Amino acid sequence: MGRVDRPIRMDRRSFFLRGIVQLPLPLLALGAAGCRSMQFARLMTPGEEGMIGSHQAGQETFTPLVNEAVAKLLARHAESAVQQVSAVDGAESMPPPMRRVCFVGVENKSAEEIGDFKEQIYQAIDARILESQVFQSVNRRFVDAGLRDTRLRPDQLLVPQQMRTFADHMEQQGQPIDYLLYATITSGTTQQNRDYQRDYLLTLELVEVGTGNYDKQSAELSKGYHHSRLGRWRAAHSHSP
Amino acid sequence: MTGLPARLSGSLIAAALFLTGCATHMVRLQPVRTAFQQGDLAEAERLIVAEAESGSEDDLLLLDRAMVALAAGRPADSERMLRQARDGLDRVEEESQLETAWSMLGDDQSRTYAGEDYERVLLRAMLAVSNLVQDGDDAEAYSLQVIDKQRSIVAAAAEPDGTNPKAAYQQVALAPYLRGILREETHRDYDDAARNFRLVTTWQPDFQQGPFHLARASAGTHSRPGHGVVHVLALVGQGPFKAEAEEQPTSASLLIADRILSAQMQSSLPPTVAPIRVPRIVAAPGIAGTVRVGVGDWSAGQTETITSVSQMALRQQEAMLPYQLARAVVRRVVKKGTIHGVKQGLGMRHGLPSAALDLAGVAWEASEAADTRCWSLLPDRIQVLRLELPVGTLPLGLTVLDHGGRPLGDPILQDVTVADGRNTYLLVRASDAGFVGRPLTSSSNARIDLPGEPP
Repeated sequence: MGRVDRPIRMDRRSFFLRGIVQLPLPLLALGAAGCRSMQFARLMTPGEEGMIGSHQAGQETFTPLVNEAVAKLLARHAESAVQQVSAVDGAESMPPPMRRVCFVGVENKSAEEIGDFKEQIYQAIDARILESQVFQSVNRRFVDAGLRDTRLRPDQLLVPQQMRTFADHMEQQGQPIDYLLYATITSGTTQQNRDYQRDYLLTLELVEVGTGNYDKQSAELSKGYHHSRLGRWRAAHSHSP
Repeated sequence: MTGLPARLSGSLIAAALFLTGCATHMVRLQPVRTAFQQGDLAEAERLIVAEAESGSEDDLLLLDRAMVALAAGRPADSERMLRQARDGLDRVEEESQLETAWSMLGDDQSRTYAGEDYERVLLRAMLAVSNLVQDGDDAEAYSLQVIDKQRSIVAAAAEPDGTNPKAAYQQVALAPYLRGILREETHRDYDDAARNFRLVTTWQPDFQQGPFHLARASAGTHSRPGHGVVHVLALVGQGPFKAEAEEQPTSASLLIADRILSAQMQSSLPPTVAPIRVPRIVAAPGIAGTVRVGVGDWSAGQTETITSVSQMALRQQEAMLPYQLARAVVRRVVKKGTIHGVKQGLGMRHGLPSAALDLAGVAWEASEAADTRCWSLLPDRIQVLRLELPVGTLPLGLTVLDHGGRPLGDPILQDVTVADGRNTYLLVRASDAGFVGRPLTSSSNARIDLPGEPP
């Protein structure tokens, strides 16, 4: 019995230790593997590839759209400005006065809520127009005050009488305008099972105050949204030779 | 019972007491809630500070302090505290596996409180509200954060099989409403305003003003020339709180499971004498129904609910209760398993030492308490009223009404300054005793004299 007792006492100890640690240990091991993570940030270097929105459009969509649409619009009007100058006969050719553009706003007609990007898009377009030296842009604060004072909606400005009312008001405020500029974002969605493709279109419409003549330039970008990495890989390689 | 089993049982009971708190959060905070609803803001503040000094749940108490500060006419303090609490809760939002594991040995109170989903969303809504009655510079950013937060909470809960328990959550219509009125004020972004008001009508279909806002944003203008808009925001009633409830069916099922396992293993398990306790949301809105607003002799209207906080909390609880119960059951299994493991290790099947360990196991299980931590000073409902008024300074008469339209407490007069084509915001807190604290307006943050309050 004595011979039997000793090993049993040993077993009890080892079993006891095992019993004590049996359940809590896996729990603690699990815990050690999964402590709460922290959030970190870093400054992105210029030219570094930005993030791509996984669920909706982000900078990867809007930045090229703005760049392309504004560049097209400015290129066309820069040409006409040059032609105007060269058409002047006689002595010294004077550059024509810069035409004043009232950028009314960005309208979102896409399927997505663009949130804080709307202001970003407005400022990006406005800044580029100002830098171009093709047009002179009316300060946004004057535009906002004009809309508030006249109680006209941006879409009402295209009605000839209301366009005149607005233009007269801006002139009274010392901000005459030659053109109204509208930016519109639209989208079209093509579904393929759980994946989908969304085509984004940014349209810039330049309307001449007085005549109502308008110019229009667009930029388009398509983006695929995939439910899995495999889906994204398949879509990316389906057209490769 | 002598030697190791006795020492072990004693240690287990001591550990049980160590791993769980004493009184639940809500029991300790009940006096704060009562003082606040009675309008005794100084007492509410004192009690919260005393509770904070005891070292418990800083971020959670900060939320309650922020509500007291807002009612007391200190929106800047309120915003600062809410921001601090938001950042604190965000830091602990991601579940820590270590904490979850540790809580299996005690109860859910041992986990750092990251806020219920509805609280995390409403925190941002309250930030927007407290900012609006100051300069309103960040209100739009906060309202965007509300929408983003709602979206991210639901998106993060998506299961691989496509199901999502949080898809049933009620969305906070206040967020698109605030965004709608802010975008409308630009006189330019009517498309944004219409898009947001459309969300309001979808998320809160019984909000009767919704279609009018949508129609105005779609084809009208912010206001007539020479007019501005006063938005009355009312935080009405007492918000939901959590109480401890016993889950009898689950407890009974576990007791049967104990017996089956005990018979099969020929070794007793601690019987499920202690019931499974879970927190249950309790809606106790009180009798305050709405706020009537008058301009001179003209009864301009009554505030209308745009977000029901209690309803939102109840719907969330309904969606997440199975998960809470599952966690409680796992905790019991872990505890019973530990006791069983110890018995196996010591070679105990029956007898006094085994019974002593069972007793210790029962005590361990009985020491569990439901996690009743919550933001206790939220309102029951957030209500709004839009008034288009002529430019100038106007006295608004405000009265809290019960659900039957009878006045509660003393009415108050508050001057607001209406600017041409602009929004002005007026915030009030209403309870069963009338107004709590003072109204706040973005046109002037000057204090006004309230009835029964020393100057």
